[in-house]
Amino acid sequence: MTNVPTHWYNIAVDLPKPLPPPMDPYEGESRITLLNRIMPSELLHQEFTALQYVPIPEEVRDIYARLGRPTPLRRARGLERLIGNGVKIYYKFEGALPGGSHKLNTAVPQVYYAFRDGAKEVATETGAGQWGLAVSIAAALIGVKATVFMTKSSFMSKRQRVLFMRTYGATVYPSPSEVTKYGIEALKANPNHPGSLGLAISEAIDYTLQGEGRRYIPGSVLEFVLMHQTVIGQEAIEQIPEEPDLVVGCVGGGSNFAGLTYPFIGAKLRGEGFEGTRFLAVESKAAPKLTQGRYEYDFPDSGGLLPMIRMLTLGHNYVPPPSHAAGLRYHGAAPSLSLLVREGIVEARAYTQEEALEAGVMFARSEGIVPAPESSHAIRAVIDEARRMPKGSVILFNLSGHGLLDPDAYERVS
Amino acid sequence: MGISRPSLGLYLTATYPSIRHFIEVLNGVRGLVDFLEIGIPTGNPKYDGPVIRVTHHGAELKGLEAVKVVDDYGRYSRVPVLMGYVADYVDSLNETASVARSVNAVSILFPDLIFDYPELIDRYVEVMVSNGLRPSFFISSKTPYKLVKRLSEYNPLFIYLGLYAATGIKLPIYVEQNVTTIRGIIGDTFLVVGFAVNNPDMVKSLIKAGADGVVVGTAFIQRMSNLESALSLLKWLRGGLP
Repeated sequence: MTNVPTHWYNIAVDLPKPLPPPMDPYEGESRITLLNRIMPSELLHQEFTALQYVPIPEEVRDIYARLGRPTPLRRARGLERLIGNGVKIYYKFEGALPGGSHKLNTAVPQVYYAFRDGAKEVATETGAGQWGLAVSIAAALIGVKATVFMTKSSFMSKRQRVLFMRTYGATVYPSPSEVTKYGIEALKANPNHPGSLGLAISEAIDYTLQGEGRRYIPGSVLEFVLMHQTVIGQEAIEQIPEEPDLVVGCVGGGSNFAGLTYPFIGAKLRGEGFEGTRFLAVESKAAPKLTQGRYEYDFPDSGGLLPMIRMLTLGHNYVPPPSHAAGLRYHGAAPSLSLLVREGIVEARAYTQEEALEAGVMFARSEGIVPAPESSHAIRAVIDEARRMPKGSVILFNLSGHGLLDPDAYERVS
Repeated sequence: MGISRPSLGLYLTATYPSIRHFIEVLNGVRGLVDFLEIGIPTGNPKYDGPVIRVTHHGAELKGLEAVKVVDDYGRYSRVPVLMGYVADYVDSLNETASVARSVNAVSILFPDLIFDYPELIDRYVEVMVSNGLRPSFFISSKTPYKLVKRLSEYNPLFIYLGLYAATGIKLPIYVEQNVTTIRGIIGDTFLVVGFAVNNPDMVKSLIKAGADGVVVGTAFIQRMSNLESALSLLKWLRGGLP
């Protein structure tokens, strides 16, 4: 019987090299100082903690359990048969959570810490909507208001997710919006701006600063977000009956990939197992920061409101092509993941949305679960790798979400 | 040469705001601090907060020329240490160490060394030792345990833990918990902590958590236009030492 983990795992203290500190740009106000005004205090502590394992508050563990943690680890026997070469495939099904994705793992503690700071409202950004939905659920359960800035292209194409967020009581704005100066500027420059996650972050921060009792909570990239997600991998280590040869996850900013893999990678770095295990991060060719990005200091948001972090990045003004519907649109990867890729501990690969969604359809028809388009990138890599691996090899991947609210994406390939 | 436990240290940027004022301050702090960190003015103080950045940009002289305005820092403190960005000295480490030696500094601390030039660590130690200096290392709270342990095994003058993300900017971080964690890894190695230290209660709690020395920089520099007020701050902070 697997239990809800008692701690989150902080990989920073096991990395082969130190994470470079965040940095203020030379012009303008200190962004590091700004963090004090916008973020829940406990999250800042966690971002800079020296602890290897950070205790999970009982209230958060309780909500994790109520929402369905531990999530199931399943054997993809249908997909194995389809590939047909005797490779064993396991997946951790984060789509089993009520939001349909892994995002609740960090939404719950972030909203909890905001509430503990006395916040009445949390503001955030969302791309395809999984994060916004998770925040909406967590806010409803904990008793604060949620305001979500959703990239406009997704706002238009993923109406059900908008309606779900509103069902949980959230206010949802398409980004660029007309409620923040960053949105107004973007609309002025391009009235048909499709939105980007970086811009939505800037809008959520600006909105937070406009009112009292608001806190900004981020969905990815920052290290504490990745740390909260490590409940996935800790559970998986307990659940999986054999050591995987390959662990795979998709990457937008890096949180679901980190959530599954970091407990495995940490053990490997400490010499405590998984010596032969490979780790593969799969991104979209629409935002290929891991395979084509530069490793440098950059802003996590397009408005440049947050401190600069050193990461693999395509530049904070990068806007993915509007035709891209399959998520993973973010311009950068979390600093720890960027470092692991640079050090060769994590491999990276990029797929087009067509390649990914074809794999998603194969998975749906062989396993009965329509995967989130983002997760389909991981599935594409699993299928390609499985075809090359010898019989008896073991693959584990993160099915980070289901795709029941993403039929628009699959319409292109089915 | 070691530092007494517990200790109060002071950070100053060489020749800020002017050569004359810098030397006046050095004379004033004699006997009030146990060790001195003398910043080498740089055009790119990337990991510093806004106040210290201003001192780098506003120093009368730049680079090692600024440090050389004093021929013997030992006159002002038993343990003077130079502090600079190794990015400026990657190709001239030996010459930099030689300058440090010539002004009687006992070490050079490079805050960017382990983050931006980890492959230089061994060479840095070799250069320090061959010039009769002790190595010293800057770490952040998230520095990997293995590296922290390795740094402590170089017999450094000290390991400096930056308490916050940048100098002078306080965040809601459990700094004492981080100090205790690092202390648990480095054994008896002298542990200096700093960034945004501005009151004796903080000094006291950091020492209690496991620090051996506490450095003040930003809070002092903010008062430097009134030397008496700045010196009073040091006396006040010393009250936090056990």
